[in-house]
Amino acid sequence: MLIRRSLLIIPASNADALATAWSHDADAVILDIQAGVPPSQLAAARASLPDSIAAAGQGGADVLVRVNAPYWHADSNAAVCPALTGIVLPGAESPQQVADADAHLGNLELQRGIPAGRLELALSLETAAGVWHIRELMAASSRIKQVAIDEAALAAALGIVQNPSLDPFVYARGRLCIEATAIGVQPVAVLDPTRLGGDELSYDDKLRLATDARNLGFKGLVCVHPHWISAVNAAFTPTESLVDYYVQVREVFAQALAAGTAAAPFAGRMIDVPVDERAKDVLALSAACAARDAAKQAALASAGRQTGP
Amino acid sequence: MPHPHRRLKRSGLTMPIVTDRFISNAWHRGCDFINMDLEDSVPPALKGYARSLVRRSIPVVNKGGADAVCRINHDLMEADLDAVIWPGMVHVNYPKAEYGHEIRRMDEIITRLERERGIRPGTIAIGANIETAVGVANAYEIASASPRVRDFGGASGYDMSRDLGVEMFVGFDQFVYGKGEVELAARALNLEPRAAPFTPNITGSVSDPDRAFAEADAARQCGFRIGGGLHPFVVEPQNRGFTPNDAEISDAHWVLDEYRKLAVSNETWVQIDTQSLTPGDGPGPLDSSDNPNLRHRVIDRYEAARAAELLEWARLCADRDREKDEAIARVRAAADADAT
Repeated sequence: MLIRRSLLIIPASNADALATAWSHDADAVILDIQAGVPPSQLAAARASLPDSIAAAGQGGADVLVRVNAPYWHADSNAAVCPALTGIVLPGAESPQQVADADAHLGNLELQRGIPAGRLELALSLETAAGVWHIRELMAASSRIKQVAIDEAALAAALGIVQNPSLDPFVYARGRLCIEATAIGVQPVAVLDPTRLGGDELSYDDKLRLATDARNLGFKGLVCVHPHWISAVNAAFTPTESLVDYYVQVREVFAQALAAGTAAAPFAGRMIDVPVDERAKDVLALSAACAARDAAKQAALASAGRQTGP
Repeated sequence: MPHPHRRLKRSGLTMPIVTDRFISNAWHRGCDFINMDLEDSVPPALKGYARSLVRRSIPVVNKGGADAVCRINHDLMEADLDAVIWPGMVHVNYPKAEYGHEIRRMDEIITRLERERGIRPGTIAIGANIETAVGVANAYEIASASPRVRDFGGASGYDMSRDLGVEMFVGFDQFVYGKGEVELAARALNLEPRAAPFTPNITGSVSDPDRAFAEADAARQCGFRIGGGLHPFVVEPQNRGFTPNDAEISDAHWVLDEYRKLAVSNETWVQIDTQSLTPGDGPGPLDSSDNPNLRHRVIDRYEAARAAELLEWARLCADRDREKDEAIARVRAAADADAT
């Protein structure tokens, strides 16, 4: 089970952000050489990608690189190394673009000693055409494990002036979650920064926004600032009380089965097969999150020894 | 809008067919339909036993005039159909429908069984229930796969929440996209949509009568006509919520009277301040004292069509209620005759 709750995105040219990216407990770090890097710094950012990838991954995070749509070929050439988890391809609109990127990653794997098929291709949709063709886009590569709609980019493409009190993306977001789930790809939330307020948001505000995203079907959220990560990790990890509830559900359902029925009342609700199945899923997710956290802790401890004071 | 094959489904109880006390008592609850469950409420070890009960349970649940409906297992479709397609069955719910070919296969089997078992061809409807993301993605293909699919809906509930990995009672409509897609497919194909508007619910209670009424009433206002639940306490509130009340019926007659006057005066629409009217003996508009939106009423062809549909629906509801009352009266009369 892929556990990638928090995806911290930082400009690959930002040395300060890069220096500490590994230490924030993000499940993934996205090094952006698209919107976040001025054209004059693109060549330098590309040249240092292998070092940046190694640095960003010290805390156990998966590291992805968001490439420029027009230069995805050259950007991928600069990014692909054994430590790279995958490429984020922005703005795809046709299955051919996705298939081309897939084939190119295959060639790079072959040339650079990376096991075939290991590199991921994550889609970041930015246009109405991308959202409309999402099914064909996802079907065009078996490397796709995550897909997102970049809401700020989509707003710009559609001429939408963002207003935090209005939500123009109910349909697009719903389509993303349904189509991705249908094909077995994880939908990831990229909420528009203007909707998120800014630094004034409390931990509880962030927890609520991320929890709402989880309850639409998203499996993770792209964080534009490290201060989002702890709330996002918490929101996408089953809480202790939820785990307790589903442990009880499993007990009640097991007793019902033993008594010859598969429907039992519990806390005013009706427990039957899908509730018990959901309970199994939540308990498995909880265990997988714990395993992911333990792996990051181990990596952090080891990184701390190497870079320590 | 009313469909020639339309069977009313304002209320219905879903129950495990293996629990005899539920099946035996369901007939007098006043349901439009009773859904005998072979699926999620029946433990795996009892699936065979459950099948053996269906044929003899049909007349039991029919006693009070309710339609006999069955929910089969997705993975045991062929064996289950063989056990449930008998005279008296009107509708088979197929859970977790994901592809049109599943529905076409069901149609073939049901067609053969109807022929072999003396059931008028085309009697038995298929409820293609959408409960997964794949089902939503293929909604139109599924809904159009057989003329036996007469109503269509889903995309919410526990199975859907499990598939999406979301909690059920979160205070906002986490299923809004899927429900919209499924409703649109149903409407485009002129099928009865099985849906409801979102009303916040954080308790998940299955037995709250006030909530059941409010949901049914809201659903009817949005053009939905199908209910159903798990607890006897919600049957009467659903019947009431889905049935136009006397004030609404009077209002609809008033609208049509006013619309007919337009034809005489050669106008296409008129706005009427209902508070300027003097109450008479005939039909009158809804009271606007508690609802200012109802004060100034526009009468035009759309409003007349709405009123006509409401009266047609009210007539179907009254017919169905009479049918059920008569059936229950017959059972009681027979019981009285036995007792004397």
